[in-house]
Amino acid sequence: MELTLNFDKIQSDNVSKYVKTILDKKNPYKNFKIENYKYAQLHRDIRSETLLRDIDISELLKISKNISPLSSNPVDLASNLNQWKYKNDDSFFRVSSLLKRDTSSINLDFIDYKNLFLDISQINNNIHFLKSSKNETNLIIMNNKSKDEYPKSIFFDISNNTNLNVIHFNISNYKSFLYFESNLQDNSHLNFVSFQSDNIHTRNEFYASLNLECNFDLFGLNINNYGVNDNYSFIQHLKPSSSSREIFKSIVEKGAITNFQGKIYVDSIAQKTDGYQMSRSLLLDDISKANNKPELEIYADDVKCSHGSTVSKLDEDQIYYFKSRGIDSEMAKKILKKAFIAEIIDSIKDDNLCDYSNKIIESLLT
Amino acid sequence: MLEIKNLHVSIEEKKIIKGLNLSINKGEVHALMGPNGSGKSTLSYVLSGKDKYEIDDGTIEYNEKNLLDLDVDERANEGLFLAFQYPMEIPGVQTSFFLKTAINSKRKYLGQSEMDALEFAKLMKLKAEELNINTEMLKRDLNVNYSGGEKKKQEILQMSMLSPKMAILDETDSGLDIDALRIVSEGVNKLRSNENSFLVITHYQRLLNYIKPDFVHIIADGRIVKSGDYSLALELEEKGYEEISKSA
Ligand SMILES: Nc1ncnc2c1ncn2[C@@H]1O[C@H](COP(=O)(O)OP(=O)(O)O)[C@@H](O)[C@H]1O
Ligand SMILES: [Mg+2]
Repeated sequence: MELTLNFDKIQSDNVSKYVKTILDKKNPYKNFKIENYKYAQLHRDIRSETLLRDIDISELLKISKNISPLSSNPVDLASNLNQWKYKNDDSFFRVSSLLKRDTSSINLDFIDYKNLFLDISQINNNIHFLKSSKNETNLIIMNNKSKDEYPKSIFFDISNNTNLNVIHFNISNYKSFLYFESNLQDNSHLNFVSFQSDNIHTRNEFYASLNLECNFDLFGLNINNYGVNDNYSFIQHLKPSSSSREIFKSIVEKGAITNFQGKIYVDSIAQKTDGYQMSRSLLLDDISKANNKPELEIYADDVKCSHGSTVSKLDEDQIYYFKSRGIDSEMAKKILKKAFIAEIIDSIKDDNLCDYSNKIIESLLT
Repeated sequence: MLEIKNLHVSIEEKKIIKGLNLSINKGEVHALMGPNGSGKSTLSYVLSGKDKYEIDDGTIEYNEKNLLDLDVDERANEGLFLAFQYPMEIPGVQTSFFLKTAINSKRKYLGQSEMDALEFAKLMKLKAEELNINTEMLKRDLNVNYSGGEKKKQEILQMSMLSPKMAILDETDSGLDIDALRIVSEGVNKLRSNENSFLVITHYQRLLNYIKPDFVHIIADGRIVKSGDYSLALELEEKGYEEISKSA
């Protein structure tokens, strides 16, 4: 099977030199030494599709309003191609997805429901979400059974004094390569929870740009995957007094590889930034792997930034304690795994969504 | 109830228990006393079935079954309980949830239906109050940020809720102040009946003022060197381990 994706075709179109350079020199499908894509192994075929299970998340549809971007007008983001608003390297995913796909926009202010549901695997376009009203909105983005080798982008523009909660279910995908970009204006708040399970080969990029007194929480959960599951985050604090908190938890088994690579960038004027990054992995066997790579780039002096990562195994002595009380080891392990990931599920503030997410995750835990 | 014959145990090639014999009948309370390092905790772990201990020789019969054939959870569900000298901390697992799971595991093993939430809450409240445990504490993670005394009380709460046939208490008294010691002892005494047996491991005679044993055994270097009734504990208090072991 030919794995190198043919981006040359779109390259021949009328695009700038900048874009051409990225497509050519920064193409992780061809060149596997690019730092930001170091562990993603995009140039490889990982494992067979037949491993995937069929997970039922239909209940989610019942507790939320189904939305579609197709009724909205497509927006022209092609002009954004040359505009990279983040420090350091442009994302290959962003550039290639903007070239390859049209972009549809959804203005969340026009939808008068609290819980919104969108299945992005059914949509070929990139999606651009806008939110400027004070409504409380929980946006559930599902990506399920995707086989798409081409990156797709999801943009969030969050206006001043606005809150948005996003729950991302990335489940049972053979291949899925997503770029999330969140632009938070002053005093806005984004809570983003990404559940990833039963996937073969995935990469999620989380780019976020924070202005004055913003708050960005990013929680990731990675369980029961089979191949390479790669998460990359880049959070830039551009103005004073914003905070970001990232917590990723992974349970890795069956020879899977889970990666977390995250960067916090603090601009020289972004005093009083509070950045926190934590990645914890539980390895259940000796053939699985977890890679963690935190990076801090700080140019202001009055900031609080910390990061950490742990890789551990289930504690045999804890399992013994359960068993000594009559609880069999299978049950003990399940309880300990649930304890390990509870923090991520509990970060969902809406009770119904939290309960339902909990049920889904429980069914995905083995 | 429990019959240990000529038990030899080693860990990592090191011999710890060296020919231990002990027989405990239904309804009896036995105290096992001995200096640090004499093998008391090792014996308790072997009885509960913790792995990594090598049984080099001997037999252990429990309720007409070969105890060594049973896995740790089976032993527990067959009514064997060990209150640990150093209870484990389990972050992320609520104490009350742990208790409920333990009780229902046992009921399932015995072919009984699960205890419903209300029934469980009642039982937990009752038992916690008996032990002067604040039920608020049971909402916290199991043993996490519990004081030494709270951990020991927690073990006794588990014991009283699971009402075992054979309970082994490994230095439950250490780390308890005099009030807690009395409360814990009452909890144990409440469970005493002619159906249940106890093996109370302790370093000091103090606990035995509250839990009066039928028999006292002194262990030194992996074997029982002297057995007697309660007066042996008093004699030990007076003379110390060294002299008693010598005279044995
Ligand atoms: N895991 C272990 N590995 C090696 N030696 C051990 C281990 N556990 C206990 N021991 C040794 O076994 C002996 C008995 O220990 P233990 O049963 O804890 O004594 P006690 O409870 O009577 O104080 C001690 O010499 C101790 O050092
Ligand atoms: Mg001991």
